Amino acid sequence: MSAPATARPMTGGEQLQRRPRQNFETWSWIFMRVSGLILLFLALLHFAITHIVNDVTDTDSRFVAQRWDNPLWRLFDWMLLALALLHGLNGLRWIVDDYVRAPVARTVTKAVLYSVSLSLFAYGTLTIVSFDSL
Amino acid sequence: MTGRAAPSVYRGRGGQWAFVTHRITGVLVFLFLLLHIVDVSLIARPDLYDEIHELYGNVVLRLFEVGLLFALLFHSLNGLRVVMVDLFPGAIANERAVLRAVVVLTVVLTALGGYVIMKPFLDGRIFT
Repeated sequence: MSAPATARPMTGGEQLQRRPRQNFETWSWIFMRVSGLILLFLALLHFAITHIVNDVTDTDSRFVAQRWDNPLWRLFDWMLLALALLHGLNGLRWIVDDYVRAPVARTVTKAVLYSVSLSLFAYGTLTIVSFDSL
Repeated sequence: MTGRAAPSVYRGRGGQWAFVTHRITGVLVFLFLLLHIVDVSLIARPDLYDEIHELYGNVVLRLFEVGLLFALLFHSLNGLRVVMVDLFPGAIANERAVLRAVVVLTVVLTALGGYVIMKPFLDGRIFT
């Protein structure tokens, strides 16, 4: 896999490094590719089950209860929750860095973004874990 | 030259539009995800969940679901294109054809899925 060129200026006399050091942004870049590929299956399958195979009106509480009787579906839904939130969070972080230039506004925007995402991740996890069959 | 400097806006072609659309669809799907976590979490009170959930069946929200399908498909397929270009730089030679395939697949699959989603309305089974 070809990593993006890292912004590492070469100073005089320094030897050319074959492999640039993997910093946070490199890992974030790799994470977006890997999680994106997994989400492609998770999200489209989830949409197909809840909107194409079944009509949306049929996916009522009994439908959810029946599905969540199987812990594997809970795992599926939790993976979708976690990966989609992290993937979206990281994407929004990039967007904020691109368009919100004033330092204070940027910090505030990110603080709101991180708090909302983290709270909803906790809320969603609690929902999936604590649900007791009807 | 007098006056203000020319705006330094990058004017790309298809790839630039794909980039912008990728961001917009990404933000929209993320916003829907936030809403979706809240509405699914109502399952802790099943009757409340069912009451709210019924709304998703009306025609306005069905159209919204078709929009969501479009956003999901475009973001997925265009993301696949981005990964492809990253892994196989040689694919850049066929960039335009690949982008066209992304757009065509997105439109066709949205139309097919949209038909299924709107069918109860088209059949006259729901009017609101």
